[in-house]
Amino acid sequence: MNAKIVIFAGYRVFYHIFAQFFNLMITYSQHTLRNGLRVIVHRADGGAMAAVNMLYRVGSRNENPERTGFAHLFEHLMFRGTRAVPDFDTPLHKVCAENNAFTNNDYTDYYVTLPRENVATALWLESDRMTGLDITPEKLEAEKRVVVEEFNQRYLGQPYGDVWMLMRRLAYKVHPYRWQTIGMTPEHILGASGEDVRAFYERYYNPANAILSIAAHLDVDDMLRMAEEWFGDIPAGVAPVDVLPQEPLIAEARRLEVVRDVPATAIMIAFPMGTRTSRNYYAGDILSDILAGGSSARMYESLVRQRRLFSSVNAYITVDLDPGLFVVTGHLLPETPVSVAEEALWDELRRLQDERVGDYELEKVKNKFEAETVFGELNVMNKAMNLGFYEMLGDLELVNREVEIYRSFTAGELRDEAVAMFIPARSATLIYSKS
Amino acid sequence: MIPRGVELPEVETVVLANGLPVHLIRTAGQEVARVSLVWAAGSAVQTAAGLKPFTASATLNLLAEGSTSGLSSHEIAERLDFVGSYFDVSIDRDYAVATFCSLEKFFAPTLEMIGEIVLRPAFPDDEVALYARKRMERLAMERAKPATRAREMFSAALFGDGHPYGISSPESDYMSLGRADVARFYERYYGAAGCFAVCSLGDDSAQREALLALLAEMPCGGTAAGSGGFPEPKSAARRVEQVEGAVQSAIRVGRLLFPREHPDFVGMQVVATILGGYFGSRLTQNLREQRGYTYGVMAAMVNLREAGYLAIASEVAAEATGDAIEQIFVEMERLRVEPMPEDELENVRRSMVGEVMRILDGPFGIVDVVIENIQISGGRGGSREGEGSARDYINRFIAEVESISPERVMELARRYLGCEGFTTVVVGRE
Repeated sequence: MNAKIVIFAGYRVFYHIFAQFFNLMITYSQHTLRNGLRVIVHRADGGAMAAVNMLYRVGSRNENPERTGFAHLFEHLMFRGTRAVPDFDTPLHKVCAENNAFTNNDYTDYYVTLPRENVATALWLESDRMTGLDITPEKLEAEKRVVVEEFNQRYLGQPYGDVWMLMRRLAYKVHPYRWQTIGMTPEHILGASGEDVRAFYERYYNPANAILSIAAHLDVDDMLRMAEEWFGDIPAGVAPVDVLPQEPLIAEARRLEVVRDVPATAIMIAFPMGTRTSRNYYAGDILSDILAGGSSARMYESLVRQRRLFSSVNAYITVDLDPGLFVVTGHLLPETPVSVAEEALWDELRRLQDERVGDYELEKVKNKFEAETVFGELNVMNKAMNLGFYEMLGDLELVNREVEIYRSFTAGELRDEAVAMFIPARSATLIYSKS
Repeated sequence: MIPRGVELPEVETVVLANGLPVHLIRTAGQEVARVSLVWAAGSAVQTAAGLKPFTASATLNLLAEGSTSGLSSHEIAERLDFVGSYFDVSIDRDYAVATFCSLEKFFAPTLEMIGEIVLRPAFPDDEVALYARKRMERLAMERAKPATRAREMFSAALFGDGHPYGISSPESDYMSLGRADVARFYERYYGAAGCFAVCSLGDDSAQREALLALLAEMPCGGTAAGSGGFPEPKSAARRVEQVEGAVQSAIRVGRLLFPREHPDFVGMQVVATILGGYFGSRLTQNLREQRGYTYGVMAAMVNLREAGYLAIASEVAAEATGDAIEQIFVEMERLRVEPMPEDELENVRRSMVGEVMRILDGPFGIVDVVIENIQISGGRGGSREGEGSARDYINRFIAEVESISPERVMELARRYLGCEGFTTVVVGRE
């Protein structure tokens, strides 16, 4: 260990070890109730904690363009009590539970973690709020104010807080992804009515539009039986079908420049990419990791460390069901001209088109996906959440197959994907300049 | 329904020849390994010793940026990334922590890099310069957020502007940092005498031996924790930064209390939870659920080695700033004069016990608990007896939380929640 270490020495052997080693899988059992509720349970190998996850297939994509932010406001209302249980949280506090929820473009997810012997309490409360929600005008008004403060805190009162609002508007013109989950403006939230609440609840919150997943060190049959017991009596619903306008490909490069009171100029370049289950999605994920996954990745090494143009850089994909975006972005050092920085980002993209990614670099990225899959499934909450998510994708088995999909990419295919994706005429560029 | 005590794996403590205590936890069947090293080398140490601002955080953050055996920062990053291992650091006023996680299968190459990073950092000049530049930019960006400025202003108001727990320095001070500052700090504070290790590993005894052999290479030096010479804090009652046109105000309210060994500390953790430590808390119900002033409000006891304080934090609608602050004091006053309903207190107890269980879910949570346990005991967990195991600590904590009565809550509120001694900070519009 005192001698100089040659970077690749001794590492090639792991190419093979990695591929043999992983057979870690989430095991699960699946059952659909007569009312259409899909149930997935995972028996965890030990552990005191259980997770109960309820996913509703509704997000900001389903919103009326005049009432953006509504799906997220509605998520807040789901904690405001029902006819039978006026206070949602108290029964959970009594059984050492914690719960929360989030909304994104595509779905709304509610989760509870609690000691495994108390799983029934979570099921009782989730089943109760699937049908009995009781929203008075007072509750609605109070919750609107909370959500407007969330809007202020996270988007309006923060430096760079409106970056994604601007980028969505630039990259999408017709698809509902053109607004953020929080909504286009606080006015849309303030305009929500009791009638809106009732209609939304009826249309989207029913068993056929929901997925229940449970992860716990409990018997599989017991978990399935409990699901039947708590949800079996809920009347059947219909999974709503909303036909969304599909976004045409960007035909001509789009560009927006804004000036804001921020400490450093930022650049963001976005490209349309494929749907969540398309091969193009995985390619985008790998390419973004080659550029910016970990501190050994290309963009940091080249643009921050060597060329010293940026103080920070990143590349990532948005995880959307419908065609999402591939993004490269960075904060400029004060002396770097915008044109130079922009060109430098393009240099990295062109390199992916001109040269095949080397074996070692590709292997590194694939290895990272495998390791992250293991690290990402260490607790019951992540397992329950993952099962719900993949079931929503319509291909539950994918939860155990993705590593293999990442493994299947060759350098040639990635180059082809880069050639097809990083086209100047298909790009949307946001220049966010400091004043 | 409520678990009495929690199941925890046994923690084994080995004191190496260099004096380094290593706390080992066996997590068989999890396929992952974690090594955390904790040094008494937080930012207050640098201030108390009269060193340049940002020296402590720079030393920690530059550990992996090149080694004396000739690996460049890029090569170190490559070798960790290639096997999917990760390396993360965190620093507070008292402690610097470096954590490595790997798949068990790749523990050997990860361990090799732990040696490079922790035992042989080179701190190359150009890496120090790059780091200073990057961090200066990043801090400016952080400070553009009202919440960051409120947090810094609150520390200064609570302890005094120049106090090791209160001070914050201009971003430009980064530019005065050089290799020598960082290298000296490393020499002085990163030896075994100021360090302890907490590791979770599988059953492979070869891995365990390799880890111990590597950690035994850590030099004996270093400065033991326990600073002394801290000046008396001087709290200011109120500080305000007006922000024209702000949509929200960042509010911080709190007061100095006592460090964690104080007999009222756990009791005050319960009081803080009642006020703002879970969703059913008094302040969340008041400011969020009833008044809609905020998206969130929290209260907590903050633990430092030489001090402890109660902090309440929220971002509120600018026009509600005055009333929100008033309501915070109203809720504290209520705890002083109205007996707490037993039912509500039971919810608090169970929230807190549930929180402990959640932290312990998964193979890595136990490491965090052991670290905190040792920090609370004020030492390094060096002696095998006396300081108690993590299990004792957790079960004592749970027992105290379980047994707290409404009378005790009122007694603590009367003792510590009067208007006297409180500090209020506002960044926004008042």
